[in-house]
Parts: sequence; structure tokens; C-alpha cells
Amino acid sequence: MSENMINPVPEGANKAGVASSDRRKFLRKSVALAAGGAAIAATTSANAADGLNTWTTPLKNEPTRHMLGRGVVSVPYGLPSKYEAGVVRRNVGWLTADTIASISFTPWQDLHGIITPNGLHFERYHAGAVDVDPEKHRLVVHGMVKQPMIFTVDDLKRMPSHTAIHFLECPANGAMEWRGVQMDSLQFTHGMMSCSEWTGVKLTTLMEMVGVDPKATWFYGEGTDGSALQRSIPMEGAHDQHGKPIPALYTSHYRDAMVCYAMNGEALRPENGYPIRLFVPGFEANVSTKYLRRLMFVDKPLVTYQETKHYIEVLPNGMIRQYNLVNEANSVITSPCPDFKMNGKGTYEIRGIAWSGYGKIKHVDVSIDGGKNWTEANLVEPVLSKCLTKFTLPFQWDGSEHLIMSRATDETGYVQPTLKQLREVRGFNSIYHKNSIQVWKIEKTGEVKNVQIENV
Amino acid sequence: MSKSKMSNWGLGLAAAAVALTLSNSAFAFDTSADKSAPKVAGIGMNITDAAIKPWNISYFYDGTNLPDGSGTVSAGEKIYSAQCAMCHGDFGEGAHGYPKMVGDPVDQFEASAKAGVDAVSNRGLNNNWGNAPTLMDMIHRHMPFYAPGTLTADEAYSVTCYVMNLASIPGVGDDFVCDKTSLPKIKMPAEPLYVTNSGPDTDNTRCMKDCYKGTEFVVEKAAAIGDVSVGKVQKKDTQ
Ligand code: HEC
Repeated sequence: MSENMINPVPEGANKAGVASSDRRKFLRKSVALAAGGAAIAATTSANAADGLNTWTTPLKNEPTRHMLGRGVVSVPYGLPSKYEAGVVRRNVGWLTADTIASISFTPWQDLHGIITPNGLHFERYHAGAVDVDPEKHRLVVHGMVKQPMIFTVDDLKRMPSHTAIHFLECPANGAMEWRGVQMDSLQFTHGMMSCSEWTGVKLTTLMEMVGVDPKATWFYGEGTDGSALQRSIPMEGAHDQHGKPIPALYTSHYRDAMVCYAMNGEALRPENGYPIRLFVPGFEANVSTKYLRRLMFVDKPLVTYQETKHYIEVLPNGMIRQYNLVNEANSVITSPCPDFKMNGKGTYEIRGIAWSGYGKIKHVDVSIDGGKNWTEANLVEPVLSKCLTKFTLPFQWDGSEHLIMSRATDETGYVQPTLKQLREVRGFNSIYHKNSIQVWKIEKTGEVKNVQIENV
Repeated sequence: MSKSKMSNWGLGLAAAAVALTLSNSAFAFDTSADKSAPKVAGIGMNITDAAIKPWNISYFYDGTNLPDGSGTVSAGEKIYSAQCAMCHGDFGEGAHGYPKMVGDPVDQFEASAKAGVDAVSNRGLNNNWGNAPTLMDMIHRHMPFYAPGTLTADEAYSVTCYVMNLASIPGVGDDFVCDKTSLPKIKMPAEPLYVTNSGPDTDNTRCMKDCYKGTEFVVEKAAAIGDVSVGKVQKKDTQ
């Protein structure tokens, strides 16, 4: 970075460049935090601003000041600055045998809002991304219906539309961390997750058109890619294959489901199911079939490969748990995070994201002393159901060691668990739905590390 | 969007304004319709079950919708050696990181889970599969990986039969014939282990002050299964 700067940054200069009135506001707020977290109270100096060095070199112009820039449409579809080339999806080679049945991760460490730019949306394929011709593509809706129907993509675009902002999370988000610390990077601990504005047709609109039999208790979507992926989704009155009722907690999410053709205002990307995909807000992402070609209404689950082998949890009593469909409340601090080093003592803003598959985020609490004391963070609007919510809290870093963490509570009152609590009920072989509190350790050197607290 | 070059900003904008006026008056909106529950009419086509049949390829756990045809273990062995073994191993042990067909015996799998040691690395058809028709469904739709959906029903039945034989699934001897009546009767060893989730299973509370006493036990890089050198993302890394 520094070699691109013409003006040298004097040692000790405040690179964050916070205006002084803001700075006083931050300091006032951080006193409140210090009161809650005794650990930092003693070392925070109200006169920290006085310690700043002074810039004396006359300022020079940057080269861009004396040249013409590019014309319009020189980049017909805009791209990020060349200086942002490191902000990309990444994968982990050893996780999967190849990149075709594999996963990549969204770089949350570099993002500032709740919306995932489309080019940075995590990818999960079971048979690779395909290019489906929207002219030739068809969606069939059939099964326990009065009238089976077939639609073109244009048909779907003509129907009453529905738009909503929701997160989409792979149930394997965090999976590598069940047995111990493994990924020293926010991108790899929490990157199997996105949040977008989705537009499409509500499933209930299609259900009305075909006249779904009230006796139908499940439906499933199927893709037109090589995996022809299919997942059973419960509706009211659904029973599992053993005849036991599916808890009502899981039988109403489908009402918000939609067949989407757009994300963040533009057509879906091939990576995310172009031209159409199913999307079930709040449910684990695997149910939201990409390249959707068929919806079938039925009265029992399929119990597919995905439901038997992949998205199940091996419990400490030796049982295999199915149909854990909702992503429960979760949160993570995105700054500071292990992907970046702290840039000297002084003012920071702790920032993060929180989400719940059951509804809105009610509170996010932040601790900087390993979970002994907590302070409620500010929730940044909008706070929407089944959507990422950004949170912030001012933080004065005194240069000492801190264990920082966030804890989400959703509108149902569910409080995000600690790793210890989660391991007590799920053991170490559970793989999926690891929504425990994430702890980062700020070292004296300014390094930030992924750590786990085992005993609380 | 018009591809013709605009010679003059003013002209271009004027043309756009005319187009806008025209389109405003050209459409009539039905204001009488109930906006809360729009009835959709005149969109899409009806379709017959016969026309859907080639896409209706989901075989339920209990055998519903399994196709006609049949296959044998010996026919499956030939298909497996030619089209599957390179990824799943000659003995179903997995190759190049692709899934195993044969995992730990189910009682060993259960014991590992109970002991809290790794139970998931050695999963296979004999310890993590509830129903044989699901296996037929998976293979027929998704395998072989490089050419999904290319096996005939007989071939898919045969190779399903062979991989179950390889994984010593009880009842699937060398002479077993797989078809839509025999598959649903097979008892997969893991079938009794499956339970349905009953809802949130943790109950943390929103403690704000002095939430615990004593020191926390902090673990860093404790139990790496894979290569931890992936570690930190370098800003210049643009793989
Ligand atoms: C090029 C490598 C490759 C070949 C060849 C291949 N497979 Fe697969 N197989 C895979 C991959 C990858 C998966 C996991 C797919 C996924 O994640 O959805 C898989 C999964 C499976 C599974 C599920 C195993 C489990 O427990 O997850 C079965 C059964 C299977 N394959 C059978 C077959 C059969 C039968 C053939 C030959 C007709 C075959 N495969 C050929 C790569 C391959």
C-alpha cells in the first residue's frame, strides 16, 4: 500500500483520520464501554489525541491531478479499483477433492455493509456452475396439484414480483472449527455466507396458480445441473419418514420462499443459479436449489442424498440428526479480524454482522475481556428479518491483549451459544450449523488471531 | 437500447422523452384487481404428466417412483471398474479425496461418535445411508461425476447393487438382483440411527456483567485436520 503513496505518512500519524469532534464522541462512548469492561478502563487516556505527531512536509499533488482519466464505457460493466485486487473469493484446496464439488468463501474482512457484491457471493457446487440458456429454460410445477404447469423465465418475470433482503448461509459455515482452531481468517471461518436483495415470484403465487392440494405437506425443488440437486422442504402438517411430525418451527418458512431471477437488482449470476433459483429465507442454503427446473408437491419427504449423507449431524449419542433446517442466531466481529493487523493504539470501531433464520436480530453484545463483561452494540439500520444486521461499538485499543467477541440475540429470545455449550449438545462430529460465539485475540503486537475458549 | 450513435445530446434526450410519453398512454392498468392477492391469469402453459415424465426422476426413500428395469452385482462390477473406481477406489475406499463407498462398520462409527473421536472421516454407505432407493436415486441422477445422468436404469441398478455388495450391506450377496421391489426391502445398517431435529438445543442467557470467575482456557491452532498453512489471507494473494 505505502509504495503507492506520494506523500509519506509520518510515523505515528493517525491514519484513520477521524475528525476531532468525532474523536471526542468516540472517546465518550468508549468510556461507557470501559465501564462495562473493567479490563481497558485504566489504560485509556483521554489525552491520547495530544500524542499525535505533526506533518510538516508541504503537500504534493498525486499524479491523477495532472492527467485525464478514462472515458465512459471504457469499462462497460464496472469493476473494482485495481488496488482492490485482493478482495476476492477464495477456496481451501484440501477441503474437497476438486473445485467442481466444492465451496468458495466471501471475503467479509473487506466488506463494509450487509450486502454481498454479486461477484463476491460464496459459491457452492455439487457439479460445477453451468450456463443455462434462459430462452430454453423451463420451470415445471407439478405433483399434488390441480393443474401441472410449465413456465418460461419471461413468464415468471411477468408475474407479481416479490423483493426482499435476506442472508443465505451454507450450513457448513464454520465447519472446520468444530474440533479446534483451524482457519486463521474471517474469510474462512465465516465466508460461506452472503446477504442480497432477492427478486422473484413468491412460491405461494405459483402454488395458487397450479392449485396445490391441501394434503401436500412437502415440496422439493430440483436443478438442471449435473447434480440435479433436490431437497425436501416441509410445509404445515409435514411428517418425517418415520411418521413423526416435523416441528412447527420448520413448517412455515416456505411461505416466504420465492423463485428468484434477480439478486441485488441484476440477473442472478451463473454461480448462483442463473437464470432462476429457489430461495427459502432462513433455511440452510442447500435447500435453495440453483438452476431450478422443477417444483414438486408431495406428502412425504424424498430423503435425498443431501438429506442422508451431507446435511446431517452426527451427535455425541451416536445418532444422525436430520432436518436441522434453520440457521440459528449467529454473529461475528468483522473488524478487527485475523485478516488484518491493528494499526497502532487509539480509536477503532468494533464492527460486525449478526443474523438469524428465525427473524430479526434483537441485540448484539460485545465483550473485549473474553466474555466476562458485555456491552450492547449499536444496531445499524435496516434491521430486517432473516437478514444480516450490522453492529458497531467504539473501541479504544490500549495496546494490550484482548479477547473480543460478539453474541447475538434474536427476536425469539434465542441467545447465540458459546462453543462449549454447543459442543456439550452436539459433540465434535456435528460438522454443520456451528453458530457459536467467535473469539478473536488481539495480541500486544497488533496481530489478531482466531482462538477458542474451551471452558466457558 | 438503441445501438445507433447519438450525434447530439439534446436530440437523444428528446427522443427518450417521446418514447416515455407513448409508453405511458399505451398501457392500461387494471385498478379494480385486488392488489393484496393478485390472481395471476394468462401466464404459462398447462402440461401433461406424460410430458413431465422424463424430468420426474426422483426416487423416494421408500421406493416410490423407482424406474422399471433391474441390475446385478456382477454387471455392476464391470461398470464400477470402468466408470467409478478411479474416484471411489477399487475397494470403495475412496481415491484422490473423493468419497468412500465403504466406511467404518456402523457399530464402530457409533462408538467413535460416542467417544467424541473422529467419526465423520470414515463415512460410507454402511454407516451413513438410510435407504437403498436413495442410493439408486443419487447414482442415477449424479454419477458418474464427469457424465451425470448418462447411465441407463439397468446400469444404475447394477452399479447400485455392486456398491452395496462392496459395502457388505446385509442381504446384498453376490447374486442379489436390484429392482424397484427389492431395493425398498433392504435394511441399510445406519437406518435406525436417523432422528429428526426437534428445535434449538442450546440455552445461553444474556449475561452482561461478571459472567464467570477465573481464567478462560484459550486454545490457538489446536486440532488441525488439514493444512493450516492456508492461514492468513495475504492482501496480494489474488488466486
Ligand atoms: C471424477 C470422479 C468421480 C467418478 C468417476 C465417480 N464419482 Fe461418485 N462421487 C464423486 C464426487 C465428487 C461425489 C460427491 C458429490 C457431491 O458432493 O454432491 C461422489 C459421490 C458419490 C456417491 C455418494 C457417496 C457419499 O457417501 O457421499 C456415490 C454412491 C457415488 N458417488 C457413486 C458413484 C458411481 C456408482 C460411479 C460410477 C458410475 C461414480 N460415483 C463415479 C466423484 C466421482
